[in-house]
Amino acid sequence: MPDFTLFTGSGFWNPIFWFVSIIVALILIYIIYASGEKGYKRGTEQVKPFISGNPEPAKRGVQISAGNLYWGYMDSLRVYYRNLIPLHTGIITDYLLWMFCVTAILLILVVIP
Amino acid sequence: MIEQLGGFLYVVLGTIFVALFGIGFGLGVLGVDRKLTAHMQARIGPPLRQPFIDIRKLLLKENIIPENAISWLFNAAPVFALAASVTILLYLPIGGLPPVLGVYGDIILIMYLLTVPALAMVTGGFASGSPYATVGAQREMITMMAYELPLATVFIALAWRLARAGVQDPFSLASLTSTPIWSVAGPLGIIGALILLIVLIFVTPGELSRVPFDTPEAETELAGGLMVEYSGKNLAMFYLAQGVKSVAMASVIVALFLPWGLSEFVPGIPALGILLDFLWYIVKVLAVLFVSVSLIRVAMARFRISQVVTMYWIYLGGLGILGLTLLFLDSLGGV
Repeated sequence: MPDFTLFTGSGFWNPIFWFVSIIVALILIYIIYASGEKGYKRGTEQVKPFISGNPEPAKRGVQISAGNLYWGYMDSLRVYYRNLIPLHTGIITDYLLWMFCVTAILLILVVIP
Repeated sequence: MIEQLGGFLYVVLGTIFVALFGIGFGLGVLGVDRKLTAHMQARIGPPLRQPFIDIRKLLLKENIIPENAISWLFNAAPVFALAASVTILLYLPIGGLPPVLGVYGDIILIMYLLTVPALAMVTGGFASGSPYATVGAQREMITMMAYELPLATVFIALAWRLARAGVQDPFSLASLTSTPIWSVAGPLGIIGALILLIVLIFVTPGELSRVPFDTPEAETELAGGLMVEYSGKNLAMFYLAQGVKSVAMASVIVALFLPWGLSEFVPGIPALGILLDFLWYIVKVLAVLFVSVSLIRVAMARFRISQVVTMYWIYLGGLGILGLTLLFLDSLGGV
């Protein structure tokens, strides 16, 4: 039987044994889960989403668009993004220039030593 | 063939044992945390067995599925979160016992597995069909991205320093626990390792969505956020996952920074050595959780989500890099 351990050079992991263990864990946990109460009152006020007693807004009104998903992230690192976004000019020669600069820096820092 | 079947049987039995231990001990540490927190706030607090009572009660309560929810995802997320939390424990040493899957995964795998319960929570939040849960799920994703940087810095810095000291398989838990960082580092390296320990202590409440990093749940603001629509047995599974993940995070800190046992003090009596190591591990886990969860949540108030990112990326990320630099300078002098 082959050993499916994957070696990365520094680390290693075996997906088969992880898969076996999570299946066993899922079965055991499902036994605990299944012992819980199953029923609830369908079609009553109980199944309405809880929004602190406010009227439920239209679905489109409460959806968070992908652009806002990372708001906390963008807001916290706004100085970084303020400088980074203007560099994205959309001109391919600019991007190639950046690529060559970064490759040169990486060569100096990583490869040459 | 027979050897491999024996290996599978060991994994199956080990998973069952570790799952039962993780769930029981996880509820125990949640009880200790609530009691200690209450005492620090001059309250009597609930009894230590309160989390067990809560689970029993939740299993008797109705499991309400909101009309807007994607029911199969909504129900699967809590079960998967708990199962994924249990699998993390399988890669970590418990007391003097070797990890069940110790030879099948390293510290980098643990780092990735730590994200799986959080991803299950995010999935459950988005599947709830509630505005509060959607905002909570969004915040959980950002929190997760935020604490990954300092967490990865700690793991890589420690493994890299061990590699510089000539330790084989530096990412393996066996190497990390058998050669503590304190035994290979010089004075600069020890300061660096202490800084990394502080970073990991502050990553723990983020990983567990506890105050001050509980913005995804934020009871007073989002009415529970991710958890707002969960009830009954689904909520019970998330509660159990919280306990298991607390034990897993504390076990990571114990394995990396406090791996010593007591068995060497009773040579010749293996059974007593195993028992002493196990009890000592329990003490270490409780002590780590007291500092990283109970003490911090009593002392601090909740951060805004943008402050969470600033805290993890700028301050703790910077501290992590400082710790890594000190370990690097230490290796130049010592090796």
